[in-house]
Amino acid sequence: MKKRYDPISGKSGAIIEDVMATPEVDTLPFDLNMRIRLCVEEVVENVVQYAYEAGAGYMQVETTLKNGVWSIVFEDAGVPFNPLDKEDPDITLSVEERPIGGLGIFLCKQMMDHLEYNYEDGCNRLIMEKKIN
Amino acid sequence: MEVKVISPVDKVLVQIKGRVDTTNAAQFQEELTFIMQGDMKDIELDCSELEYTSSQGLRVFLMLQKAVQGRGGKMVLTHMQTQVKEVFDITGFSNIIKIL
Repeated sequence: MKKRYDPISGKSGAIIEDVMATPEVDTLPFDLNMRIRLCVEEVVENVVQYAYEAGAGYMQVETTLKNGVWSIVFEDAGVPFNPLDKEDPDITLSVEERPIGGLGIFLCKQMMDHLEYNYEDGCNRLIMEKKIN
Repeated sequence: MEVKVISPVDKVLVQIKGRVDTTNAAQFQEELTFIMQGDMKDIELDCSELEYTSSQGLRVFLMLQKAVQGRGGKMVLTHMQTQVKEVFDITGFSNIIKIL
C-alpha cells in the first residue's frame, strides 16, 4: 500500500499510526509489529523534523509483503540525507560516557534484515526489509 | 502513556504504563523531572505495563540513570516486558541500567 502525506509538519504521530494501521503491518505478529513500529517511528520523526528546511513538504510511505519479505519504502523531497552514513554508537560505554540520543537509526539497523538508501530525482529513499517466518 | 507515582518519599516507586514514543516522550521526561532534580537515592520504575519505548524514551531512561547514579543513588527497572527488554539489550542499556 502506498500513501502520501502532505503536509507532514507536526503530524508524525498521525503518520506513524496510519502506517501501522495498513493491512501489511497490522496483521503481523505482536513482536514483529513492535519492531516495525520502532523503525517507522524513527524514520517518520526524522523526516518530519529535519527533511524540509522551510517546514513544508510531503512524505510517501509504501509497504509491501511479498515472498516472505516485508518491506517499506520512505520517500521525501527534502534535503539529501543518508541516515545510514551515521556511525553506530559505542554501546559499551559507561553511563557517564554515553551521550544522550543517537540510537534511532542504530535500532533500525538491528531490527531489520536489510536497509538501503538512495537519492534519485531529487528524492531521498530509504528502504527497509524484514524476513517474515 | 501514563505515569503513576506510588511513594515519593524514601523509596520512589513509579509505574509506567503504555507506550513511550515521539508523541509523549517530552511529557514522560517532564513527569519524571522530580527524580532527576530531587535527591532520592532509591528509585524503582515498575515497567510491567510499559508496552513500548522508542529511542525517544531511551533518552529519558538514560538521563534518569545519569542523574541518580551521579548523586550516588540506585535505580532499578522491574518486570520489563520482553519486547521492551529487547530494545534495552540491543542498545547496551541493559549493561548500564539495572533491570530486575
